Amino acid sequence: MVQTKLAKGHLFDIQGFSVHDGPGCRTLIFFKGCSLACAWCSNPEGISFFPEPLYRNSKCTFDGLCMKSCPHGAISISRNEQNNTLTFDRGTCAKCTTYDCAKACCSGALNIAGFEISIEDLYATINRDRQYWGPGGGITLTGGEPFTQPEFAYNLLKRCFEAYIHTAIETCGNVPWKNYEKALPYIDWIFFDLKTFNESSFHNLTISQSHHSTHSPISLILENARRIAKEFQGRLIFRLPVIPGFNDDKGNISEMARFILSTGRNEVNLLPLHHLGREKYNLLGKKYQASDYNIPAKDELQEIADQFASFGITCYTGSETPF
Amino acid sequence: MNTDPQSHINYYGCEPGKEVSPREGKRQPTPRANEARELYFETKSSVSMEFPYWYTRRWEELEGEIPIIRRAEALKSGFEHLTPTIYPGELLAMGKASFLRGSYPMPWLSEAFFMAAEDKLYMEAQESGKLTADTFTTMGKGGGNVTKSSGRVISIAGKFGLRVEEVPIMLEVARKWKDKSVDDVGHKYEQLVPGYKEKEALMRSVICMFDSGYTLPQGREVMNYYYPLQFGIDGIIRNCEEGIADVAGYPEMDRLYFYKAVILMLEGIKQWVKNYAEEAIFLASIEKQEKQKTEYLEMAERLEWISSKPPRSFHEALQVLWLFHVAVLNEDAISGLSPGRVGQVLYPYWQRDMKNGSIDREKSLELLECMRIKFTEIDCFASMGVVGGVLSGNTFNNLCLGGLLKDGTSATNELEMLILEAGITCDTPQPTLSVLYDEKLPEEFLLKGVECTKIGTGYPAWVNNQVALEFLIGNYAHEGMALEEARAWAIGGCLETSPGSWMPLELDNEIHWIPGGSAPATSVGVHFLNLPKLLEVALFDGMDMRTGQRVFPSHGYKLNSYDEIWQAFKVYFSRACHVLTLTNNIQHDAWRKISPSLVNSMLKPDCLAKGKDIGQMGCRYNTTFNIESCGTANLVNSLSSLKQNVFTENNYSLDEYRKALLANFGYKTAQETGSYSLIDQVPTEDYRDWQKIHRQSLDAPKFGNDNQFVDEIMKDWEDWFCDMTHNYRSLYDQPMYACQISVSTHGPMGAVTLASPDGRLSGTTFSDGSVSAYPGTDKNGPYALFNSATCWNHAKSQNSQLNMKIHPSVVKGREGSRKFLELIRAYLRKGGFHVQFNIVDSRMLKQAQADPDKFRSLLVRVAGFTQYWVELGKQIQDEVIARTEYEEL
Repeated sequence: MVQTKLAKGHLFDIQGFSVHDGPGCRTLIFFKGCSLACAWCSNPEGISFFPEPLYRNSKCTFDGLCMKSCPHGAISISRNEQNNTLTFDRGTCAKCTTYDCAKACCSGALNIAGFEISIEDLYATINRDRQYWGPGGGITLTGGEPFTQPEFAYNLLKRCFEAYIHTAIETCGNVPWKNYEKALPYIDWIFFDLKTFNESSFHNLTISQSHHSTHSPISLILENARRIAKEFQGRLIFRLPVIPGFNDDKGNISEMARFILSTGRNEVNLLPLHHLGREKYNLLGKKYQASDYNIPAKDELQEIADQFASFGITCYTGSETPF
Repeated sequence: MNTDPQSHINYYGCEPGKEVSPREGKRQPTPRANEARELYFETKSSVSMEFPYWYTRRWEELEGEIPIIRRAEALKSGFEHLTPTIYPGELLAMGKASFLRGSYPMPWLSEAFFMAAEDKLYMEAQESGKLTADTFTTMGKGGGNVTKSSGRVISIAGKFGLRVEEVPIMLEVARKWKDKSVDDVGHKYEQLVPGYKEKEALMRSVICMFDSGYTLPQGREVMNYYYPLQFGIDGIIRNCEEGIADVAGYPEMDRLYFYKAVILMLEGIKQWVKNYAEEAIFLASIEKQEKQKTEYLEMAERLEWISSKPPRSFHEALQVLWLFHVAVLNEDAISGLSPGRVGQVLYPYWQRDMKNGSIDREKSLELLECMRIKFTEIDCFASMGVVGGVLSGNTFNNLCLGGLLKDGTSATNELEMLILEAGITCDTPQPTLSVLYDEKLPEEFLLKGVECTKIGTGYPAWVNNQVALEFLIGNYAHEGMALEEARAWAIGGCLETSPGSWMPLELDNEIHWIPGGSAPATSVGVHFLNLPKLLEVALFDGMDMRTGQRVFPSHGYKLNSYDEIWQAFKVYFSRACHVLTLTNNIQHDAWRKISPSLVNSMLKPDCLAKGKDIGQMGCRYNTTFNIESCGTANLVNSLSSLKQNVFTENNYSLDEYRKALLANFGYKTAQETGSYSLIDQVPTEDYRDWQKIHRQSLDAPKFGNDNQFVDEIMKDWEDWFCDMTHNYRSLYDQPMYACQISVSTHGPMGAVTLASPDGRLSGTTFSDGSVSAYPGTDKNGPYALFNSATCWNHAKSQNSQLNMKIHPSVVKGREGSRKFLELIRAYLRKGGFHVQFNIVDSRMLKQAQADPDKFRSLLVRVAGFTQYWVELGKQIQDEVIARTEYEEL
């Protein structure tokens, strides 16, 4: 894992007037880098810890300006009569710090996902946005996995919390406990993602770069969930991405429900699968692996919600939340 | 307001799409309103020569009469001869002309177009017999616009149909006004202004687009219905008779003729109403259905009563309001005649009817829906350039809700909730709605407004009450306006802050203070100055490089520093304001002498009390002339780009920039490609020579991103512009002020402007409004845009305008409504004057697919997901569009 310097965080987006990730109107802070790599991830540019070129083929004029500008020779263009193709040596790109290619591009086809930002600069933006949130708003740390950059996340949360800003995080749970520990007192609200209890399917679909190979990710995630539920004073809402055929069977849902009850909490938010992120895979030169999964139907979501309800768990579906 | 039906994504002002696709909480109008709306949709815009014929005929007869009497007699004759037409199911009667969407030319303002088109019109009239029915099918295009001649209908200005047999009448009537119309007389005298040639050069280069005095001499103002509501027509006539007795033979004799003229005009209106009453009785006599028969008879009774007496009920009061609204529209070419705070004006009547049980909510809603249809039927036939260039058939009858009462408490009421409800159930373009937002307004009302905004019609717009009050006190205090009176304001027209007064409506021995307009037209004066073009002319030392003609003498600056560019721009801008103020004052002087307002003067306090019409400063407040700007964001972005690329980072010399602008950054011009948006532009063979400077121009700091470098330029411009306008004085010897709405001029004005240093290409459209970012350049989200937009004090200007597009996913559901309100409230609290939203429907998403750069900042919101709509990819976009359409069902 990349341990960023204390001073700077590595993000890929800051998004004001976000309305679905916590109470009120919020500013979302997208951390770059994740300790899972779920096939359905809608923010694939948040998975890698390194800066990545986002390349839009349709805008490219193949004038070679980027290629000429790259000091590492990481870009190549192959030309033929049917179509030109431009390729990146993405391994080399990951080590880049100057992004000359994006600066040289005149067609708008090339951008870089990921940027470094200091707490001060980020806080200035948050402080600007704060005047527009209205009551109940705040910040939500998401990504990527915010707690793969624990120092930055801690410093940011502490700074905001002490300034009376409502702080929320969304976490996948797959980080060492110590990454959370210091930050917990400065968090008002946690979305904790659960995926499945099936070890093998979990592994197939969510792991490509697990950084804790000695632990089973599921047991680490569940252990973190239990401890957060116990030690965290604020509101904890579990989130379940609903991927039909992967984790929507009755057995998994029951197990999920029993687990939630065992933590002493009782709220879950279903996030129905969507394919809106697919285009971003193209830009990253990656293959989208979740195309074959269908978007869950309304009545199916209702069934899952009913199942949770039968356990006495309050279930919110998608953006239909009371916050 | 938008003119080009092809580009209706560029919303600004108060433009809702005509055929609206509601998305959430879709509701249906009552069957009665639905039928009327269907009828409207099937109806074409038509011209009728009745009114102008009788007006002109009477005018001719009275050669040598005192001008204002001559005008009154002509109006009277026009009103008396309008053929009454009542449609089955109507609850509110009367309209501008005998056709459903009828209107007519007013050659006394300007006849030049008809004279110029004489041969063409005659030819088409003669050809008309040969036109086959096949051509009729093409008329479906463009909604109610008659875009082509067919059968026995001649198309005028690509919009109106005129019956063939009326063509000679139109031309004959127009001929009578040659050299006598406001246009012709004004033109004769404006040439006496020193430096007049410069004005012609400004118009030729389209630095300024329109003259003011004869185009739409009235409008962009708020109506006042107090006098007819309180006194009835006979009551006002009695007041005038008393006025005559007081002033006859005494000095300031003009008052005598004014009172006499009002009486004559009112006699005409009285007869007009009675003609409708008679028509209703006639229709009842031949009607077989009992229910409809009764409705006709009830209508006749109402009309007969209000033809002389004050209204007795909510229904009658609404009919009075409508009748005088139309009456004003019939005396002048007018756009933006706003009914004002209707829900507060009529509340005393409605409350009383509710109390005594003579009306219920269902009936009220039905009536309010019928009112919406009536306002939607208004068409405006102004001089040609204006019909095409500004209005596009939109009439901008802005109805305001909310605000404060005289005593400073919340002014909203239950009737306003019903007006919002009618706006939801019966989503027609007019009247467009605006909420005068104040912290004191109740949450329920505001959320109802949000609910209405969410259906995707574009209304209500959200307007800042406190900012308007600060503006009004700042600009009208010298005329005696105090805070209490300022609270009576409303939006006139598209977005023009207009002063009002509180009038003491007495009903059942109780005084109700109702708000109403008390000033003449705004958005008269200097119409729309093309800011980016003025910068272009400054960069080329006074030359219009498109035409190769000189506009101004050399400014003498070497332009060796950013400051010199800024100075040169200011010098030229000031010169334009100077000459245009003087020439337009002369045009308005011709207007007030030849075609003085009588209906509107009678309505507006304190004309009746003073015995003076609007042109003689009869109104309580008269500081309404303004200077309008267009292309603000492109000006500011261009200055930013020059400052950065030429003077800060020294990437290029100014000469290199000039060459790049002339070379259009290596692209074909918009005229060559036939498209006016940036995305469709086609590179020339040598575009590579320019692509670096173009990219660096596009990458220079852009307004709308909370970037201090460029926002400071914005603030400099606004502070200077808003202050300098006060140096110019109107016809009424009042200081002018800044008005910052682009209406639809950013299209044609962009068309004549070369590439600009911000990277915008030649001929392409400017940004709309005044604090809207240039499409595709606000990349940091709404909060950053808000910060940029409020970097200057909006109360310095009559208005500012921010248009935003919101994806339905952001505001869905109950929580969505609450968060949407927070967004609106946050901007207004920061000092923004106006914001309006397009909750994009699938139609617009399709356009976003075709034209992504215009929708660069449209975000799709799903939990935890970050992406801009335009970056979703075609396949996904199609899915979303399909889903959006599904949700509409």
